[in-house]
Order: sequence, then C-alpha cells, then structure tokens
Amino acid sequence: MLSLVSRRVRNSLVLLVLATLLCFTLVVSAPGNIAVLIAELRSPNASFADIQKIEEELGLNDPIPVRYAGWLTGALTGNLGISYKTGEEVGPALASRIPVTAMLVAGGGTVALLLSLVFGFAGAMWPRHWPDVAGRGVALLGASMPSFFVGALLIYAFAVELRLVPTFGLAGPSSWILPWITIGLLPAAVLSRVVRVGLEEAMARPFALTAVAKGLNRRAILFRDALPNIAPTYINALGAQTGVMVVGAVVVEPLFAWHGVGDLFLTGIRFRDFMVVQACLLIFISFFILLNLLVDIGMIFTDPKLRRQGS
Amino acid sequence: MTTSRRIFLKGMLATPAAFGTFPIFSAIAQTAGGGALTVAIMKPAGDLNPHKYAGLWGVQDLIFEPLIRYGRNGEALPCLATEWALEEGGKLLRLKLRQGVTFQDGAAWNAESCMWNLDRWIGKDAQNWMNLSRAYESKKIIDENTVEIRFKEPVLGLLYELSFIRPSRFLSPKSVDKDGAYQAPVGTGPWIQDSATNEGSSFRRFDGYWGDKPSFERLELKVLPDSRSRMAALRAGEIDLTGGDFLAPLTANEATTLKKAGIEVSVETGTTTIVLGFNPDRNAALKDARVRKAINIGFDRAAIAQVLYQGLAQPAGNFFAPTVPMAGKRLDVPKRDVAAAKALLEEAGWTGDEIREKDGKPLAVELVASEEQIAGSRAVAEVMQAQLREIGIDLTIRSIDHASRHSDIPARKYDMAFFLTFGAPYEPFGSIVGLFLSTYDNGVDGKLFLDAQNLDPLVTAVMQASEANIETALQNIYDWLQAEVAVAPLLYVPSMWAHSPRVKGFTPPTTEYDLPYEGITLSEQG
Repeated sequence: MLSLVSRRVRNSLVLLVLATLLCFTLVVSAPGNIAVLIAELRSPNASFADIQKIEEELGLNDPIPVRYAGWLTGALTGNLGISYKTGEEVGPALASRIPVTAMLVAGGGTVALLLSLVFGFAGAMWPRHWPDVAGRGVALLGASMPSFFVGALLIYAFAVELRLVPTFGLAGPSSWILPWITIGLLPAAVLSRVVRVGLEEAMARPFALTAVAKGLNRRAILFRDALPNIAPTYINALGAQTGVMVVGAVVVEPLFAWHGVGDLFLTGIRFRDFMVVQACLLIFISFFILLNLLVDIGMIFTDPKLRRQGS
Repeated sequence: MTTSRRIFLKGMLATPAAFGTFPIFSAIAQTAGGGALTVAIMKPAGDLNPHKYAGLWGVQDLIFEPLIRYGRNGEALPCLATEWALEEGGKLLRLKLRQGVTFQDGAAWNAESCMWNLDRWIGKDAQNWMNLSRAYESKKIIDENTVEIRFKEPVLGLLYELSFIRPSRFLSPKSVDKDGAYQAPVGTGPWIQDSATNEGSSFRRFDGYWGDKPSFERLELKVLPDSRSRMAALRAGEIDLTGGDFLAPLTANEATTLKKAGIEVSVETGTTTIVLGFNPDRNAALKDARVRKAINIGFDRAAIAQVLYQGLAQPAGNFFAPTVPMAGKRLDVPKRDVAAAKALLEEAGWTGDEIREKDGKPLAVELVASEEQIAGSRAVAEVMQAQLREIGIDLTIRSIDHASRHSDIPARKYDMAFFLTFGAPYEPFGSIVGLFLSTYDNGVDGKLFLDAQNLDPLVTAVMQASEANIETALQNIYDWLQAEVAVAPLLYVPSMWAHSPRVKGFTPPTTEYDLPYEGITLSEQG
C-alpha cells in the first residue's frame, strides 16, 4: 500500500509542476499590459517611457520560461511575490484568505454530505415513495440551478423577506448558513443520486439477499451492509464535487462578501495582477492534487480490491 | 479490515463538520447601529496616502481636506484656505489659511504643515499631469497663516486643481515615520479611521473638527463586491447607502428595481459624458467629416439611453453636461435621420445597397467597447451596430476588458471607442486639454480626437486665455467640435444613489469622487 501511495505522491508532484507551468503561460499570455495599469497608479499621465521602465522592473520582457523559473524559485522559498495592485506581499494576503475559503468549502461539504446521505438513503429506503420522489426533485433542482442563482434566491427569501439571516458577511453562525447551502446544494444533488443508485445496486447483490434471508430488516441491511459498499464510488464523487465547490467559491464568495481566495482570484484577474492570480492558481491546483491524493488513499482504505492490488 | 473501513468513514463524516464549525473567525459588526451610517463600497479602501493614486477617492475625502473645495456648478468654496488672491497676471497665488484647525493627531494646521505637504508632491514629475505642478516655480511662507505659491505661467483651472482629492490634500506631518514615509491616514477631515480590513473600514467622528460635525458618531464602510449583494443588503436594512461611480455603482436596472421595492433612489444629471470617439488615423473612412456626421445621426440616442440607463440618463447634444461649469451654449440633441445619413454617405462617395463601398472597399468600422469601463456598453454597441447597418455601415464590435482597454486606447488601436469625460472637479479643462491637445500625454485615457493643425491652437488659446476670455475660448472649441463632428456625445451619465428610509436629508455629492455624508441625519424609525 505504501508503494501505491508513494507512486501517487510522485505523480502529483509532476502534475503540479506541469499544471502551474500551463497556468503561468496562459496568465501571462492574456491580452492587456499590467505595466500600463501600474503606471496609472503611480501617475495618472504616465508616459510610454514610464510604462517601458515598469516592464523592465518587473521583467515583463523576459521569455516566459525565465519568468516561470523566477516565479517557481520564489514560490518554493515561500515568496509568492508582490501584488502589482496593492504593493503588498501576496503570501500573507493569501494566507489571511485561505481560512475563509476553507470554511466555505468545509461547510458546503458538510451540507453536501448530510443532504446527500439523507436524501439518498431515504430514497433507497422507500423507493418510488414520496421520500424518493422528493429526493429526486431536490437533486434535479440542485443540479439545474447555478450557484449564483441559488444564492440570490436564498438571500431574497431568507435575508431580505424573512430577515432570518444576514445578507452578507462573516458574523457568526447565522451568516454561515446561506453560503454553505448555496455552495453545497449542487454537490448534494449529485451525491444524493450516487448514494441512491449505489444503494439500489447493492441491494440487488447476493450478500443483501442473504441478509434478507437471515431476517434482517431493510434499514439494517442498507446501513450496515450496503452503505459501506458504495463508499469507494461515493468518496470518488465527493472528491470531484469538492473540486466543484472550490471553483464555486469564485462565484459564491463575492455574492456573500466573504473575502476568500475566490474573491482575491477574481480581483486579480480583473487587474491582471499576475502574482495574485498565479498564487491563487497554485493554491487551487495544489488543493485539487491533494484532494485527488486523499481520494486515492481513501479508496485504498475502503476498497479491499485496491489494497490487494497495491500490496 | 471492515473495522478500519467503518472508522475511516465515520472519521470522514466528522472531519468537515468539525472543521466547518470551528470558531476561528472573529465576529464582524454586521448591522447598522443607531449612530452609524453604513455605506457599501465595492472594493477595500486601499492605500489612502493622499499623495498617491491607489485608494478610493471617496474614502480619502473623509479624512483629507483641500485648500479650496469644489462646490456645486464649480463654485470655489473656502476650506483649509479662507481667502485667496491671484496676482501678477495669475502667476502668484496668495493663500490665507484657516486658523484654529488641527489634524486628527493634534498637529497644527498652519503655513509650515501646508508647505510640508506641498513639498511632497508639487513640481514632481509624477504630478505633472496637473497644470499647477507643471507650472510650479517656488513657494514662500509669509506668516503663520499665509503662504504664496509662484508659477512660471498662469495656471489653467488652478482653483479646481487645488480641490482635487489627490494629490492636493493635506496629511498630518506627525503621522509619517522618521524618514517621512507615509504611515497612517491622518488629516484634518471630520472622520478618523479606526480600522481597515478586506471586509471594510470603520470611522469615528473627529470631535475636534473645525467645520460642521456629522450628526452621527460612526461611519462604517462594508466591502460588497457584488452589486446584487449590495441591493439585498440595502433592502434588508443592513446597509444605509450605496451608489456613486467609484464607490459602489448602481445600474439603472438596479435603481429601478430598488425604487419599486420602496427604497429611496436619487437620480440626477452628473458631470460626466459618454462620448463616441473617432480615430481617422486608423480608419481612413472616418477622415471624412460627412461619414462622421452620418454616423452621428445614424443612431438613436434615446434608444441608447433606454438600453443603458432605462431612460434615467439624458441624451447628449453637448460635449459637457449643463452641470459642468463653462459647458457652452446648449445644443439640440442630434436626432436619428436615416435618409439624411444615407445622403451624406452618398455625397462622400460611399454607395451600395447593403454595406456601402468606395473604390471596392466596404465601409467597415470597428467599435471598441469595455464592459468594465461602461457597464452595458456592449449592448449599446449592438444597438449602434443594427442601426448603422441600416445606413450601410458594417460595424464590428470588439469587447475588451479593463487592462486591454488601458493598452489599446492610448495606442489608438480602435476605429471608434466609447470614452468618458473626467467629470467634476476636473472639468472643463481636464477633458479639453487631456483628451484633445496632441502634445499633452494623457496616459491611459488616450485621446478623443487629434488634429494638431486645427484643434491644438484652439486648446492652446484656452490655456492662455485670461479669466475674461476663457468662456469664449472654450466656446470656440465646442463650436469646432460640433462643426467637424469630431466627437459624438451620447449621454450625460446620471449620478445614482440609493439609501434606506432611515437616512434623512440626503443630497447627492457635488462630484462622483466624494462620499455623501454631509447633511445626513439617521432616523431610528427607518
């Protein structure tokens, strides 16, 4: 199993370098000249000579591989550069925002986990009855509506009309509810179908028939025997959906004025703040790779076939 | 291994829940208190150093004051200077400073602190976009409350420039470090900054303020980047005020929706004009004034006002709105006249049924639009595309973002593009000199129209005109622009603000660079 994990770690590192190189190339190749924006910040009537000077200062005329190497060297030593817009170090700015995004994704993940298990399990417990139909309905709605629309609806209903929760900010548990539901609804919809379909398939397998023959009731079989059997599939899907939530943070954070990495990323893109964009991408890519690694390890834990393959 | 699988799954269930609810974040004051005005801003206030160009103007204005304040319709009002006199043909400015003023940290406002501030920026290269900095020669302390500034030549728009938010405002000399480097925003203004984070800024009233003190004790600025969040927060009573071009812009659609929801919305004609600029140097067809004139009457300004501002904006006939000082004789708004436009193009040699041609070349024009510059400009461009096609012009639209616009416009990579005049307090001279004088480097804002032979002398005449002649000199430019159809003014951008019912006595700020708090009282019944 150790060799399987170490192989995954090695592949992840290669993937990290390739992904950051690709992102760096795309970001620096985007149209628009950051030097013009910086010159504007220094003086409203900056001349072309000023702009050229800034290009030299920032090394914007260097070839992309040289710029990438410079950035990578800095990143490896913990120096993610200086924001072109604010002049502040990117590392501390990013560090102050990571907990906000982590809280959003973790909360959304919890919502997704709970809703998917409740709806999926209820659907499998009472197939083709109202809990199943309700679960399908929620899944259909959750999967069909983009998160910015879900968020706007929730804000209107629960914050503007009913005034049960605040419309924005991070001011205690009441302000966490809407962002968590907004970001967690789509994964909940997808995962509830994974649970529902997985449990139905498991219940048709011989071990479930044996359990029925032994006189166990349906709930016990679903919970004790069928549910652990869908774990590898579920963990795999949960990993993918967590990735979806991280991407969703770019939309959800500004909507609820949560100043996390997604919000910083969006601001960075608007200003062509390469250092900020690249640092955010590094965080996103590292998170995706780490997530996949954890999913792989989780699957090794939950799938005996994989463990045997590894050993 | 069944046990390890079960433990793993249970652990997986517990981890995110525990992490998600871990109380790692300090609570942030959320709702407006009785003595606090809560205002939405779309981005953090940033570096508020008044001698740099990074912070939000409106927030800098809360803390830092000018010598002279820009009043409604361009009236110069006393602020940190109580009297001023121009002598020696406009080359010498004598200022009498207000007495009894202190900075928020207790430092005295006097000739010395005035000079200390001027030393930080006046006459320096980075500030040479300002006439007074470019023409600066020397300065002198006459007595504790009197200073003199000498210029190499009379300064166009001198009093307006002294009202600018940056770099013309005054920082406490005590607030900097031993090397003179900026440390904290400390001015003479009515608000003291208590804190500033990504989430917002918090201010308390400066009780030692020399002027009329605000009626409420606190001012909270909340960073709400998404306009839908701002609308929801206003409707839910979590913020009191939103709007302004630079603080938290409202779209016409949002203003209309808020009004229907019972929120008070203020819409007034602002001081900025949306103008269609031509670049004949890139597209030879636009060298012919008849083609420009055909374009000018080829689209419907009322339709554009409807698309962009739901009828809340006034279609423009003049280069400047009537709210701008010395804006010139008022002109009729050009009406769409397809027959006349076609006749002009025929006369100019562009013929054909669908897309017109001349010497085998189609009449094709590229229009550059940036949603980040003017929200909705893509839709406006599409209206123009459809309407100009009816007169035989093939208009292609190139949508670009903020960064690309800031590269393409100064490099003149466009046939036609939307421009915004600078608005008060920079008008009328800011836009006239910056956007039309070919020898003046206007930075990222580029040039609206270039004609060194005919237009430059008119602009130079304005720069050299005496006070008595300046309006005539400006009118000459307006007349030339109209006769040559060198630009096509589209709309006067409305100044739009929305506030909660508990905000009483709201009046829109004089310029879009200010944050309105003066005259406001907060009613608890809201």
